[in-house]
Amino acid sequence: MDFVPGGELSRRIREGDVSAESELIRQFEPGLRVLLRRRTGGDHGLLQDLVQETLLIVIQRLRGDGIEDPQKLAAFAAQTARNLAIASLRKAERQRTDVDSEATDRNADPTQSVDRIASDLEAALAVRALLRELPQPRDRLMLKRFYLDDHDKELICQELDLSEAAFNQALSRARRRFRQILEERGFAKRDLLSLGL
Amino acid sequence: MNQELIEQYVAGRLSEDHAQAFEDYCLANPDFARQVEYEQRLKAGIVEVARGTTAEFVRSNHPLHLRLAAAASVLLAFVAMFYFWNPGSPAAAPTIMAAVTDTTPRDGISLRLALVRGSDTAPALPAGMVRVEIVGLFDLGNQYSVALDRLEQNKKIDTIATLNDQHPSSPVSLEVMIDSKQLRSGLYSLRVRKQASGEEALDFGFVKF
Repeated sequence: MDFVPGGELSRRIREGDVSAESELIRQFEPGLRVLLRRRTGGDHGLLQDLVQETLLIVIQRLRGDGIEDPQKLAAFAAQTARNLAIASLRKAERQRTDVDSEATDRNADPTQSVDRIASDLEAALAVRALLRELPQPRDRLMLKRFYLDDHDKELICQELDLSEAAFNQALSRARRRFRQILEERGFAKRDLLSLGL
Repeated sequence: MNQELIEQYVAGRLSEDHAQAFEDYCLANPDFARQVEYEQRLKAGIVEVARGTTAEFVRSNHPLHLRLAAAASVLLAFVAMFYFWNPGSPAAAPTIMAAVTDTTPRDGISLRLALVRGSDTAPALPAGMVRVEIVGLFDLGNQYSVALDRLEQNKKIDTIATLNDQHPSSPVSLEVMIDSKQLRSGLYSLRVRKQASGEEALDFGFVKF
């Protein structure tokens, strides 16, 4: 993807160029998802909401007053997303009270709950497929140690009697296959699953 | 930016200042950001799979273990056959999933499942005894296993019923019966695998409200 400098995007959006707004969304959305994924604790619904809200705020700002330094548009969008995530966290804290958890379960909003499950489901299903494919038990254990137990590479290499090169190669292979599985199944675009026809 | 930095960011090992600089870079570099997101999702997927058990990570491919597992499976299959198919047994549990037979009525409730790109909603399982048609490309000369998994938010993925030796009803469909009232509300997946082949299983999700 060709990167369009923030200054140029800002100018075009201010001049009413709708295609520039689409470019801004294409350009910033992946980064916003990374940033907000770290701050939303796996809540996919919240992640989506905050990404959209951030983009909307940035576009409205560029349509109106603009930003102080258009060259720093990416940093402005990132900071907007961080502020929204903090505000959302504060709101959740304010709303947190002692709840009757059984009653909450009984009255849970099924739509929201399903959406949240589905967000984990995509990656979980791909991981399961990946684990089924890995021929060496050592490779599965390596993934567990690295991603789940957060052990250092050095420690894992010692434990599993692996050279660092072999470790990196196996990890890279697993990553590539995980990505492939998601893409093959259409998970990458979050267009998972099946549809009643 | 290199892979090590991505790993440190995803593992939460960067200082806040470094993490913010990293995020700013992601916003300016969408292709790099996608790479980071895959790493985040791989970690999240592993955490999710391991919520209930880490057995999937430590299962062994050792032939002895495989033989023991196979022996245990056969024994379990016999126990299950006795348990489910003994009509006189007062303890017989209701069947959640069953094969479609020639005598299964065709005019009952049905649900069609297919892998469709562009859909982000899972179809809902109707109430009652539902004839579920799984749409895909099937080899009429092969048998398939169908596993029904319950996907719990904070728990492991539980396989609650499995049917083996199923024949496709056509080159594009395989059918099973599911008793909806036996299922709790939640998200489920039907995992279809061609038996005696190394082909990857296909997952078809649905929701029971």
